[in-house]
Amino acid sequence: MLTSTLVLGLVLGGTYAMAALGLTLQYGVARIMNLAYGEFIITASFATYVLFTALNLNPVVAIALVVPAGFLMSYGIYFIVIRPLAARAKDAASLEIDSILATFGMLFLIQGLLLVSFGSNYTNYSYLNTPVEVFGVVIAANRLLAFVLAIFFGGGLYLVMTRTRWGMAMRAVATQPESAALVGLDINKTARLAFALGGALAALAGVVISMHETFTATGGVVFTMKALVVVILGGVGNLLGALVAGLLLGLIEALVSTYIDPGLTLAATYGIFLLMLLWRPTGIFGRAGSR
Amino acid sequence: MLDITALSLRYGKHMALNDISVQVGAGESVVILGANGAGKSSLLKAIAGLAQPDAGAGVLFNGTSLSEIPAHRRVEYGIALVPEGRGVFGELSVDENLSLGAIPRRARDGESQRRAGVYALFPKLAERRRQRVGTMSGGEQQMVAIGRALMSNPDLLLLDEPSLGLAPIVVGELFGALTKIRNSGVGLLIVEQNVKFSLSISDRGYLMEAGQIVGQGTAEQLSNSQTVKDAFLGSPGDPHNQTQGAIK
Ligand SMILES: Nc1ncnc2c1ncn2[C@@H]1O[C@H](COP(=O)(O)OP(=O)(O)OP(=O)(O)O)[C@@H](O)[C@H]1O
Ligand SMILES: [Mg+2]
Repeated sequence: MLTSTLVLGLVLGGTYAMAALGLTLQYGVARIMNLAYGEFIITASFATYVLFTALNLNPVVAIALVVPAGFLMSYGIYFIVIRPLAARAKDAASLEIDSILATFGMLFLIQGLLLVSFGSNYTNYSYLNTPVEVFGVVIAANRLLAFVLAIFFGGGLYLVMTRTRWGMAMRAVATQPESAALVGLDINKTARLAFALGGALAALAGVVISMHETFTATGGVVFTMKALVVVILGGVGNLLGALVAGLLLGLIEALVSTYIDPGLTLAATYGIFLLMLLWRPTGIFGRAGSR
Repeated sequence: MLDITALSLRYGKHMALNDISVQVGAGESVVILGANGAGKSSLLKAIAGLAQPDAGAGVLFNGTSLSEIPAHRRVEYGIALVPEGRGVFGELSVDENLSLGAIPRRARDGESQRRAGVYALFPKLAERRRQRVGTMSGGEQQMVAIGRALMSNPDLLLLDEPSLGLAPIVVGELFGALTKIRNSGVGLLIVEQNVKFSLSISDRGYLMEAGQIVGQGTAEQLSNSQTVKDAFLGSPGDPHNQTQGAIK
């Protein structure tokens, strides 16, 4: 029973980790608290669903279409919605508040478009829905694939952020934006790229989640909240932190659900969140962001 | 190389710089001496593009006007600032800080030689390439800041009180390194309150008071000047004097 809980918890955590990576980039580097983040995830899930049902496109292949689209859309949104806010913001705090308000509006806009297009029913499709055995625990193959993809892309992103000059620049802007110009870095350009990359990661999460979960047009908020919990747990802007915190959150939820009561998982999540905010607001690993 | 003319700068109503003219020749080493609040940092920020001077100010560098060039692009022209408080990336390692210093295009060729040069200049950093800069001592962080600036392959290095808050022995080491940098042909514009050391590595100097240039001369002239002695070189026998009195 414990092994099975651990395996299920890790698989669930992989999804959380993946969903949080983009948000931690957007919040940590671009300083945008994107309340519509979950809607980006859901939009990508629906896009994958359409590609799968209408064109019979394999969801893994769909990654190659949906993720670049997520990048471009976020880039465009930054230009249209965020850039004017960033240009007039006096400081990081006022940009944060403005961006919360703007993306809160965007949340309902995207949700409305999804409701009009797909209705309010739960949607899913069947892909790799065959049982496989991991450490003696039987899970659906699509869940295992989702976990592998989360680790693959999460680990890859971590390497990019730590081994490339481009990734170092992102981390530098996250922690010390006032020094960016000294080394020839344009903060606005870096912020734009980080926001777009965050959108690409939200899209990736949406594709992967759609492989094994049912989703609805109104379900984005839950993803935003869970991703936010993971981001705070891992330290704002800290990618490795988000990966570990995501896995941890999955484990905790699985343990609570198995050993205490399934009805308490959400309560446990927010309990941990509250404790963290009170006791270690910079996250378990400290932040790569400076707020 | 650097030609500043008629530069004024204000913060709201407060006039921090008033009609400043300062020149630095190619490969020259120049010091600006002034008490707290004289406007030294403001001047370096204006040159680096981090503070916006009043219209009409002339900032010429190698014949190009930098007035319309944003701060992050001025590094491309060959100006590197080591700011007050160092401005290092504390969460990143020494090596990563140096890599970021080499972002400008002019720094790409010869990056690895330049990195080796920085580590030869500051052997202490070579032993700590992977250490997080935020965990290092003030002197070591200053070395990182200077090393990072050198990685951009600058023609002119702007240094804002590099000796501030450092122990005398570390200040000695630091100025030793600055002498080597100067001898390598990089121009230096140093803002300091440590008169003795900064004049010892400078060709010329300016005296600044309340936002204005109130005196200038060769390093030798300034060392012998009564104004400078009164203002900065307090009691004889105190070799590391950092008096912060006003220039009379
Ligand atoms: N951002 C700012 N807003 C308002 N006033 C400022 C600002 N920065 C500097 N000043 C004021 O401008 C004047 C010059 O400041 P500056 O920092 O250039 O002096 P400084 O010579 O570098 O002094 P120190 O030796 O203490 O570093 C001071 O009176 C200071 O209070
Ligand atoms: Mg100063």
